[in-house]
Amino acid sequence: MNNKYKIIILGITIVIIFILFLRVLNSDKTYQPNQMIGKKIPEFILENLLNKNPKLDSNILSGKDFAVLNIWASWCIPCRIEHPFLMDLKNKNQIDIIGLNYKDEGGNAKNFLKKYGNPFSLIGVDKKGEVAIQLGAYGVPETYVLKKGKIIFKHIGPLNEDTVNKILELQNK
Amino acid sequence: MAGYIGNLALFFSLIFNCFLIFSLIREIKNSTFKNSKIINFFNNSIFFLLLISFLTLIYCFIVSDFSNVAVYQNSHTTKPLIYKISGAWGNHEGSMVLFILILSLFSFVFARTKVSEKLKFYTVFFQSILILIFLIFLILTSNPFDQMDPKPSQGLGLNPILQDPLLAIHPPFLYFGYVGFSLVFSFALAGLVTNNFDKSWSKIANFWIILPWSLLTVGIGLGSFWAYYELGWGGYWFWDPVENASLMPWLAATALIHSNIVTLKKDKLHSWTALLSIFTFIMSLLGTFLVRSGVLNSVHAFANDPYRGVYILSTILFITFFSLAIFIIKSPKKSSYGEYSFLQKDNFILINNCFLIFFLSVILVGTVYPIILDAISGKSISVGPVYYHTILAPFLFAFLFFMSHGPLISWNKEDKFLQIKNFKIFFPISIAISLVIIFYFFDYKDIILILGLLFSIYLIVSVIFDWISQKKLSLNFGRLVSHLGFGTLIFAIFVNAYLSKEINTAMKVGEEITIQEFVIKFKSINRIKKENYEEVFGNFLVTNKKKQVELTPSIRKYDQPVQFTSETSIKTNFIVDYYFAINLSEFEKDKIMVRFYYKPLMFWIWFSILLIAFGGIYQTFRLRNE
Repeated sequence: MNNKYKIIILGITIVIIFILFLRVLNSDKTYQPNQMIGKKIPEFILENLLNKNPKLDSNILSGKDFAVLNIWASWCIPCRIEHPFLMDLKNKNQIDIIGLNYKDEGGNAKNFLKKYGNPFSLIGVDKKGEVAIQLGAYGVPETYVLKKGKIIFKHIGPLNEDTVNKILELQNK
Repeated sequence: MAGYIGNLALFFSLIFNCFLIFSLIREIKNSTFKNSKIINFFNNSIFFLLLISFLTLIYCFIVSDFSNVAVYQNSHTTKPLIYKISGAWGNHEGSMVLFILILSLFSFVFARTKVSEKLKFYTVFFQSILILIFLIFLILTSNPFDQMDPKPSQGLGLNPILQDPLLAIHPPFLYFGYVGFSLVFSFALAGLVTNNFDKSWSKIANFWIILPWSLLTVGIGLGSFWAYYELGWGGYWFWDPVENASLMPWLAATALIHSNIVTLKKDKLHSWTALLSIFTFIMSLLGTFLVRSGVLNSVHAFANDPYRGVYILSTILFITFFSLAIFIIKSPKKSSYGEYSFLQKDNFILINNCFLIFFLSVILVGTVYPIILDAISGKSISVGPVYYHTILAPFLFAFLFFMSHGPLISWNKEDKFLQIKNFKIFFPISIAISLVIIFYFFDYKDIILILGLLFSIYLIVSVIFDWISQKKLSLNFGRLVSHLGFGTLIFAIFVNAYLSKEINTAMKVGEEITIQEFVIKFKSINRIKKENYEEVFGNFLVTNKKKQVELTPSIRKYDQPVQFTSETSIKTNFIVDYYFAINLSEFEKDKIMVRFYYKPLMFWIWFSILLIAFGGIYQTFRLRNE
């Protein structure tokens, strides 16, 4: 091959690399909180926190007509603040709440539930926070509303009266 | 005042650099190569001006001159002196000054060595182009002497986890390595342009490759050591993009060292050696880009100004394009390749190069691909240890095997199938040792572990065998030590990975718990107040079988800026590290989160890295004396 062509190819490659990295530089490096809304939840299988079985399988979630997925951890203070809301959702409104225990110690998590009550019908252990990343989560706490495995609503941070009402509204739709 | 001097020195170095380039172009155009006095004068002046600039910056940090923006943002009056000094390069602006200073230092030293005037002029020319590019970048986007008015009365402080004696020296070492590769880059371009890329080029280049390589080895080792004792997670290598960024040039340079030997001894592989010389420095630049453009978020990422990112990116691609274009046009085309036979030493070095480039590609993809994918499709994938370990491990075994035999083969004749007697010696010995180790120390057997131990021991045995059969040890001493260090490193890494133990729990004062074979007693807690932080110590007693170890990890609360750090407590007996870290528990007020790690052979990991670097340093001194 002629040197001229080689240099042209080199030049083109460099330009492509430049454009690619320019996109990287200009891209917003924060999470897009909405990016999962309207999408199906990613597939995962997680160990159960309290019992050996059943494991938390994304297929179980997909099978449910209406469910709330809550990401929490015992070390997270806002989780304690939102906990009464979760208890209410379960006890008063009979909503099926699934827990995702995020980067936590099993013992601490169990103590937390013993002390504040357990609103969850099933809790998956996301020890490394990988599933939370797949869900596009910022951190803890975060709450997802699922309809047949599709994410229809998402709330970042501790739950409050408004979000609880919103969740109830969605349930009745 | 000092700031003005520093700034002035910086500007003058830029002007002198332009003069230097101008006079070099004139010399090159006329092909006279005579006025080396003028060239040396400019070259030396640039170095001294940059040195003055750097020293004034350090001075500004020492006297806490907060009218200087960089000082204001990264220092504080109550900081101990050493961190005021290291603060000078603990930020983006200052570290760029150091970067350019080292570029210039290498040019300065190189100009004093015995090289033909023509090669010298060209090398200094390319080096001064690099200095020019980075000086413009520094002055335009990140001037370390930017002033602010009114002058603040207090600074913002240095990130506490960077307040560490090791970190005062880790960046300079890393920079000497990274930036040091610039010289062999410039020298390679000079060799290509002047058609002097031959054995004599290799002979000189050898020194300029091994020197930064050794320093980079130390730099990586220090960074890893810091991560181990400071971050408190018991790990020493996290496959973090920034760590990878330092490993990539190291791998490229390791390949270069070996291919250069072939060029030196057999007058072969010129193009490949030239390409690797260019590529090594480009990898260093890629590291600089990743770390300095704000693409990554980590303790290393200082710059978050998007213009800086675009400038660094353009610069690096500009350098890449021109250096590769020169390579394409001028790549040495030697027709005679001498006699070719398969089981020759050159081929083993080629195999070594293939492996190293493969390792490098795996790491390059793992580091860069997720970043680009995220920017383009918005998808996040996490590439972690599992990816690297699964892909690299099997090839590492083959690499170790070739590394054991390559050096034993002679340069000139084809050995009878790698000297069967070597196999007969190495295999039984290393299999026997591995079996003993595995059955004595390990409860469960994993094929990866067995192979890892077997081949690392195989390498160690072969090096010892080689060592004993040396007639003139000093000739190969550097190589033997580095190879031995690599063998012990891999051995220690495998043992460590499979025998490490970890305990995570919450404890009260006075509590005693038994987990696995360890009994941990939380004896007491006490506080002290220091100059720039307050510290809470926990006293723990760990009993393992009959052995008792007392550990005192702590939590520090720094004042400026307010931040908590966890200080680990590590006790080592050179075989096993007992490692303890504590955190405040947000959940239970009366308890403290404790993390205990049992880490075998950690000392040997550090010692092996030192051996590898020492081999290189020994070699550079030997080359220097020749």
